[in-house]
Amino acid sequence: MSSSSVLSEERGARGIPKAPFIQDVEKHIGGADAEVEGPLKAIQDAISKYRYMDSNLTQRRLGLEEKIPDIKKTLSMVEYIQERREGKSSQSEDDLEDDLEDEDSNSKPLKTTFELNDTLFAEAELEDTDTVYLWLGANVMLSYKLPAAIQLLRSKLEAAEENVASLTEDLEFLREQLTMMEVNMARVYNWDVKRRREHRIAEEQGGKSASEKEGG
Amino acid sequence: MRMVEQDQENDDSTEVTWEDQQKINLFSKLNTRMKGFEAKMEAAKQEKEALDDLSTELELADDTESVLYRIGETYLHMPLHRALERLEQDQADLDARFSKLLQSSQQCETEMKQLKVTLYAKFGSAINLDE
Repeated sequence: MSSSSVLSEERGARGIPKAPFIQDVEKHIGGADAEVEGPLKAIQDAISKYRYMDSNLTQRRLGLEEKIPDIKKTLSMVEYIQERREGKSSQSEDDLEDDLEDEDSNSKPLKTTFELNDTLFAEAELEDTDTVYLWLGANVMLSYKLPAAIQLLRSKLEAAEENVASLTEDLEFLREQLTMMEVNMARVYNWDVKRRREHRIAEEQGGKSASEKEGG
Repeated sequence: MRMVEQDQENDDSTEVTWEDQQKINLFSKLNTRMKGFEAKMEAAKQEKEALDDLSTELELADDTESVLYRIGETYLHMPLHRALERLEQDQADLDARFSKLLQSSQQCETEMKQLKVTLYAKFGSAINLDE
């Protein structure tokens, strides 16, 4: 019996092949006397293919999930700078509601303590500015005005979260197929065990009656 | 995989039908989701503890000193009242995230319990749905 791939031609979303559900183990193997080695091996191959795809997708998703907090941090920093600028400009328009403390802190430059290296920090003062530089990867850094920067970061965040969601969907589909193949394998194996036992019992019965005939 | 004693083995009546397979698939999917939720809830809980510690510290802080509040990867110097405002906002965001996760995970758990009852009823010891 050729050990052709047991995976059907049908593909689920994004090219993951769908696992067939074996309705009748005996029919699938091809009769009560056929060998189970072939089908078992084919199922085993399919399972390892699925496991490989599974680890692939999991790696990709992990990478994305690491990027997302980075984008969020950058976004919250840029939003903070924007807030400050808006706070300042609105205050100059409305002097009556000036909160003295706020005015003080907003007129002073923005002081930060940032990480130069692990456990090494330095203080820096940020001038009032309407431009930020964003690292786009691949050794490319572009300057953006604050609103544009916020927009870009937000859309990057959305895209990353969408990708994570679709990867998760794929993974769930993949796990389903994997589970089905494992169940298939268990059923084929159990069927084989049962069949061997039945054969053995039949032989013993046959052997007994034969020796009884001879003895009798 | 484990070996089952011969007398505990199933007889032919407990065949796996297509519906059973779908239930098993659904259980497996929910189980994986639950693990994801549990991991995220653990992370959120730790963040919450950190923020709670922070609010205790700030209660005792000196009003005249500026607070180094972390935004992203850097620390910004800001007056105490501003830091307290941000802290409240961050705590509220975190609580909202946590309760959403809790809700989803409880939903998963309820569905999983129902499936367990059905599947154990049909397959008994031939199937293992626990850790």
